[in-house]
Amino acid sequence: MRDQPAAPLVSVSGLQKSYGALKVLKGIDLTMKPGERLVVIGPSGGGKSTLLRVMMGLETINGGSVTLAGKPYIRAGATPARTVIDIAVRRSIGMVFQHYTLFPHLNVMQNLILAPCKVRGENKVKASERAAALLTRFGLGEKLTAYPSQLSGGQKQRVAIARALMLDPRLMLFDEVTSALDPELVGEVEQVILQLAKQDMPMMIVTHDMWFAKNIASRVLFCAGGVIVEDGPPEQVLGSPKEERTRDFIDRVFHIRQ
Amino acid sequence: MNYSFDFQSVTRNLGPLFDGLAVTLQLTVAANAIGLTLGFVLALLLMSPWRLVRLPVILFVEFFRCTPALVQIIWFFYCVPMLFNVFLGSITMGILALGFNLAAFNAEAYRASIQAIPREQLDAGIALGLNPVQRILYIVLPTAIRASIPVLLTNGIVIFQQSALVAIVAVQDLMYQAKSLATQTYRPIETFSVAALIYFAVSFPVTQLVDYLERRRLAVAG
Repeated sequence: MRDQPAAPLVSVSGLQKSYGALKVLKGIDLTMKPGERLVVIGPSGGGKSTLLRVMMGLETINGGSVTLAGKPYIRAGATPARTVIDIAVRRSIGMVFQHYTLFPHLNVMQNLILAPCKVRGENKVKASERAAALLTRFGLGEKLTAYPSQLSGGQKQRVAIARALMLDPRLMLFDEVTSALDPELVGEVEQVILQLAKQDMPMMIVTHDMWFAKNIASRVLFCAGGVIVEDGPPEQVLGSPKEERTRDFIDRVFHIRQ
Repeated sequence: MNYSFDFQSVTRNLGPLFDGLAVTLQLTVAANAIGLTLGFVLALLLMSPWRLVRLPVILFVEFFRCTPALVQIIWFFYCVPMLFNVFLGSITMGILALGFNLAAFNAEAYRASIQAIPREQLDAGIALGLNPVQRILYIVLPTAIRASIPVLLTNGIVIFQQSALVAIVAVQDLMYQAKSLATQTYRPIETFSVAALIYFAVSFPVTQLVDYLERRRLAVAG
């Protein structure tokens, strides 16, 4: 038994997604093992954010399916509008977005406990205790009663990550969470994600930050034109890519960074 | 002009004017209760993906936005009873006419605020497992109401002023009392000036409050 490979945590098969006539995902196949940290890189419009949004169940699809821990939770229907999404399974996935993630009318603590209390019916006092512990761990112990408008961009994103973690997700999706931040605030958010990585939280990250990609990924996907062009360990995909298109992209990105 | 003012003819008769003000305020509060709640429901229906739901609501809203309030009130008092064989008392009819009018304007205010909610915010709600009703209750409603408060207050105070129109159909509001007092005392200048002052005294603080809220909102956003 021990020699058998671990069952995949996520498997995506034949995933297709179009916006009108525009095909954004052209048949994606992907399996992810528990504890893996996938970083998805690639040019804008290549489909990487769409892939994450589909996996979160935020989009209808034109073909294919997505399975989490053996349970198929997103399946294409006869038409995109008939996409079947299993809401119970979807709840075990957490996601953090690029901007506007916090609810502006709620303070930090209220943002964190809203879903646990309303969705899971958790006791308010218990949820607040968990929230306070999590926020303290992320260096936000003094911001419990602050409102989003009083926080820096980096603090907001750390709160958003803590909020997603409150539901004990089995998989975390990060969609360009540092792209909208001032450069000096990027580090504090990445530190929090690295901290999660150390605890073996399975995650999929879309980022343009190659330093971060190299440091956090256990595997890197290069996604362009709606397909996965290259898939491998970070040293390979970022260091010596096999595919021409990957090499072009990496060269351009690193050139800009110098 | 050789006119000697006699404000005493009004100040001696403030009682009926204040009775009228009480009716006006009653109309305003009740119309706002309808406008604030029905307006939100209409806003949600306006954004329905189904045309069959949207269409009658669009008709309702546009009817009230594109006809004079005076015509609406007269239509409510004379045509509705004849067409549908219902008359619910003059104050109730006044409240309905003003309330539906306000609901139409508030629906537009709510709709604008709801559509201004960033999509990612609603996506975050889905990602957190909130169901559609919970997303409306805990995200859309509080955000949209906060954003529309200045417009809702402005619309509300406009209805306070528009309510003077119901005097024409014999609702005994402030304007009605002022008119009958002017006729009794032969002092229209004094009477209507005092009535105007009373309307002003109620409206002005509210418009100031709206300005303050707008400034504060801009300060927070900036």
